[in-house]
This record gives sequence, C-alpha cells and structure tokens, in this order.
Amino acid sequence: MAANALSRRSGAQNLQSGSLWRAFPQGLVAKIDGILSVKCETKPSIAIAGGGLMGRLLAWRLSLQDFDISLYEAGDLSTPSGACWAAAGMISPLSELVHSEREIYVLGVQSLELWPGWAEQLEAQSGRSVQFRSLGSVLVAHGQDKSELLQFQRELRGKLNGDISACVQPLGADELRQLEPALENFEQGLYLRGEGDINNRRLLPILLNVLRQQGVSLKERTPVSCHGYQLEHAEGRARFDCVIDCRGLGAREQIQGLRGVRGEVLVVQTREVALQRPVRLLHPRYKLYAVPRGDGHTVIGATEIESEDMSPISVRSTMELSSALYSLHPAFAEARIVETRVNCRPATMDNLPYVHCEPGLVRVNGLHRHGYLLAPALVANIEKLVTEQVLQVA
Amino acid sequence: MNEQLSLYGKTFTSRLLVGTALYPSPAVMRQSVAASGAEIITLSLRRQSPDQQQGKILWDYIRESGCQLLPNTAGCKTPREAIALAEMSREIFQTDWLKLEVIGDDYNLQPDPYGLIEAARELVGRGFKVLPYCTDDLVVCRKLLDVGCEVLMPWGAPIGTGQGLLNRYNLQTLRERLADVPLIIDAGIGAPSQAAEAMEMGFDAVLLNTAIAKAQNPALMAQSFKLAVEAGRNACVAGLMVKRQTASPSTPTLDMPFWQQVDKVPQD
Repeated sequence: MAANALSRRSGAQNLQSGSLWRAFPQGLVAKIDGILSVKCETKPSIAIAGGGLMGRLLAWRLSLQDFDISLYEAGDLSTPSGACWAAAGMISPLSELVHSEREIYVLGVQSLELWPGWAEQLEAQSGRSVQFRSLGSVLVAHGQDKSELLQFQRELRGKLNGDISACVQPLGADELRQLEPALENFEQGLYLRGEGDINNRRLLPILLNVLRQQGVSLKERTPVSCHGYQLEHAEGRARFDCVIDCRGLGAREQIQGLRGVRGEVLVVQTREVALQRPVRLLHPRYKLYAVPRGDGHTVIGATEIESEDMSPISVRSTMELSSALYSLHPAFAEARIVETRVNCRPATMDNLPYVHCEPGLVRVNGLHRHGYLLAPALVANIEKLVTEQVLQVA
Repeated sequence: MNEQLSLYGKTFTSRLLVGTALYPSPAVMRQSVAASGAEIITLSLRRQSPDQQQGKILWDYIRESGCQLLPNTAGCKTPREAIALAEMSREIFQTDWLKLEVIGDDYNLQPDPYGLIEAARELVGRGFKVLPYCTDDLVVCRKLLDVGCEVLMPWGAPIGTGQGLLNRYNLQTLRERLADVPLIIDAGIGAPSQAAEAMEMGFDAVLLNTAIAKAQNPALMAQSFKLAVEAGRNACVAGLMVKRQTASPSTPTLDMPFWQQVDKVPQD
C-alpha cells in the first residue's frame, strides 16, 4: 500500500515534486512494500534495462549478492551510447552545488564516500585501475572576472548555510602555483577540498568485464520497454522478480517530461602543459572545466544546450571551449584536438534525479549533468531497497 | 489612473518582463515567472537547432506558462542571422512578436545600432512586431521609430552586468524626448531598487533575466522585482517630490529654540 501511495506521489505525471528519491536520505526506503514478488526457490531474478553507468553499477552491486542478473542494452555494451561515455567523470559536489539544488550535494557527498571503496573493489576484481582520484579541484577566474570567485563563495555559503572554510580554501598566487604550476596567468583561485574524479573511459569497460566474471547475463542490441515484473522486447515478454529501468533518454516514452540537454566535450593532447587535478574556469557566460587524463590528455567541457540534438559539435562550441582552454594556459594552443564528444544528458524539469517505484519495477533516471556524482548514492539506495525486499520475503 | 501597459495594441497589467534562460532548472524558471507576475517572457532559440525542433519539450513547458511569448534573436551578429532566426521563431511559436537583438561586441554584448536598424526595417516590413534591444542613444532610437518600431528597449547597462542605470542623462533624455513611445529598460538591472528607479524615471516597463535567474532563491527575487516595479510605477504616477538642499522636518519643532534649529542645517 505504501508503495502505491509513493508511486502516485512520484508518478510520471508529477516529476516536479515528491520524486521518491527525496526520501532516500531519510531512510524511508524500507517502507516500500511489494517491489519484489519472491516466491521461488531459485535465485531471485532481476532485469536491468540500460547499460550506461547506472545500469552497470547496479548490475555489479546486485551481482555481488545472491541474485540472477540480466542486463539489457539497446546498443553495444563495448561503446556505451549514453552521456556516461561523453562525460569527464568529475565527482564535485561543491562545484555543482552552485548551479543546482542542495539535494544534489547531499547525494554527491554520499557518493564521494562510496567511490574510493568501490574503486578499490573493482580494481581487486579486475586487476585494472579505474583511476579514481580525490585531489580536490581548483577554481580560477581572470582578473576582470574575479567577482565570479566572490559570487561563487557567497552562493556556496548561502546553500550550505554558513561556514565553508572547512571545504573551500581561497588561494593566493603562490598557493595556486604550488597546487597547479601551469596556472601561472592567474593571481587567485579557490581550492575545493575532497572533490574527485574517475576515468570513465576505464571504469565502464572494467565494469563490463567484472559483470562477465560475475556471470551477469548480458543482452546487447536488445531494446526493451519496462513494466512491473516484465520486460518487453522484439521477441516478446520476459518475466522477472524485479525490473530496474535505467535507460536514460531511452525511457522517454515512459517518463513524461524527460528531456535531453546537449553537452559537447573536447579532448586535447599536449606534452607542453599539464594540470594535476580538475580545474574550472569561472566566467560570466561560459562554464569550462578541464580534467587531466593520462598520456597528456585533457578533457574539456561542457556546453549545456537545451536541445535534444545529437549532431556533431558546433564550430561555436569548439571555439568557446578551446579559447577558454587557451586562456588557462597559452601552451594549450598547440595541443591537438584528438576527440570531440557529443551527447544528451537525460534530465527532468526540476533537474533532479527521478526514482520511481511500483510493484516489480524501479525506474531511475534524470541524472542530468551529475552522473558520476549521483550514481553511487542512488545505486546504494536502490540496492538496499531491493535487497531488503528479498530478505523480508525470505 | 495607473493605466495598463499597451504594446502593439495589446494591454498588460504587469510592467515586468522576464527572460527564461540561466535558471537552475525549468521548474524553478516557471515558479519564478509565476512569482514575477510577468505577462511577457522572452526565450531564445539560437543554439537549439530550431529547424529540428529538438528543444520542443522545453518550449512546450515554457508555453504552458500562458504568457505572451517574446522570442529573441540573442547571439545574432548580423541582420541576416537575426532575420532568419526571427522567421524560424515566428513559425515555431506562432507569434509575430520579436525581441530583436543584433550584437556588435562579443564581450559586453553591446547592440550594433547599424545592423539593428537594418534588421528592424526588414522585419517590420515582414509584419513582425519588433521590440529592439538598443543602446540609449537618442538618434538610434529615433531611427528605429522611423523604420516602424512602436516600442523601444534601451539598455540600462550591458547584459548580465547588474550595473543598473549607467547613463541616467541619456535615459532621461530618451524619456523626455520620446514621451509617447513605450520604453522598456532591457538589460543591466541587477537589483530591485534599480528596477524601481527606472520606473520612477517614467519608463514603461523593465525586462530582466540574470538578476532573477542567478539569485539563490529565484522565485523570491522574482517577487521582489514585481513589488519594486509596482512601487516605482506607483511612485511615478503619484508624483515624486523634488529634492531639496536643506533638511526640513515634516512636523514643526515648535518647542525647539530657533538657534538650535539653525545648527541642524547642513554646513555645506
């Protein structure tokens, strides 16, 4: 009954308010009944639709328990088609808080606590590193835009209700140079302690390998639609004890108000200049981040355009991103653009994640620009929710 | 006494126009538009590949606010670009209202007066109801009227700066010399007090976006601007007092000896 009440509240008609995920931090998940119908003697079966970051992480976490997991993906699993593959993999609850609601921060902090352990576990299972770092991040602004640094601190103080000295350290020129020798054109900046990033181009293939090891049944090029206890695909319907829908924009038909927000990313390579950690440039109109990856690569992004447009990167965006990068250090002018990435972030109208539960079905979507920031917290909560149901029934 | 705002034959109760960009989310945008009481809202198509209609979900969401839509040509640098985007906007949003922007400088997004007049002439000819975003130059404003604009939107300060009314002399001149033309202060307004000031000076309305969208509580800021615009308008209609050099007590201080009263007069 509680499940029905909650699913009405968080139903597809009402994406703006009362999405179930809000209940997660308060631990209300245990009150939802009837998600699973476990009556069988065999292992409970769970179908996960969508092989992006959410789908893979969920499949991995649940495969560590006594479940029979099937992962369905409409495209190829070797090159994920979603936003997770285009992303830069930043895990930055403080930087993001300024452009988003406090709930994003709360979930982000939970994720930051989970990532190091998960990264270690994945490395142990796969023998390969996912390159998780928590070296903090640096924010800079040019002289004429230095009010942006003040504005950032003011907004952060407002959103966190008070003292931010524990997590934000203003940097003078010398301190800035110590942290980031390349940023010699800047006189001041901010250091955000504890923020992290992960190399998504390693993480996602590693997750796939681990899923194979764990015996997860992988079904590529199989578009599905999700319903309570069942999946529908070209060949018919399949029954499961629980279905988890993580299809991102693929779930558009079943989640009203879901929209794609275009993001464009450049990857450049140079030996001449190197950053140590994610750096953000504050500017009145553009948002730029630069995330160093191995082998002289830097991922820079990201535009945010209100359009579900998957066409290649525009000249304008290329110019904006590259000129902002050039302004970080002139040596970037000779860097080579080795890759451009375009994708659309799935988002709800309140730009908050959407989690909806009904008997036999969990839908999670709308991670927007916060995939790596939110996924572990959401996964952990859904994992707990699904597992508790099983224990209850058992 | 406080008559309604009349633009291109349509009347409005609210004298605050707001933009729909830069909000933390579409939901916050719509709450803020509601809190502002605005009946006219601007929206931009520039980077959203309008020909493919891929931003449709959001456009429909904005349309549901029930406001008069005022599509803009933000980011266009030539008359040709602006005209093409205007035609596309008219088709998609089914309105011939247009906030015309032709930008001449990238950094402060200053209007290009020559391109603006050229584009305005063409668009008026094509039946658009053009509301041009212009500088506070009297001659430019006159030329825009000459080519058929019925409403002008001079800037207070460059877009997004929040600097308020930077050139009061020019703005006052516009108000006095173009007494019968609806003038809307567009851009540069950062605080409700600045919006109130524009209304006190006799401007017909105020258009803004950043100051609301970037506030920590956009809906509350929207409401603040609503009140400020109303207060400024009412003050203008009520008739502001003329500033005086000396302080004069509003109640006579009969019990105070006259030599002490003299001491109270500012010495400069």
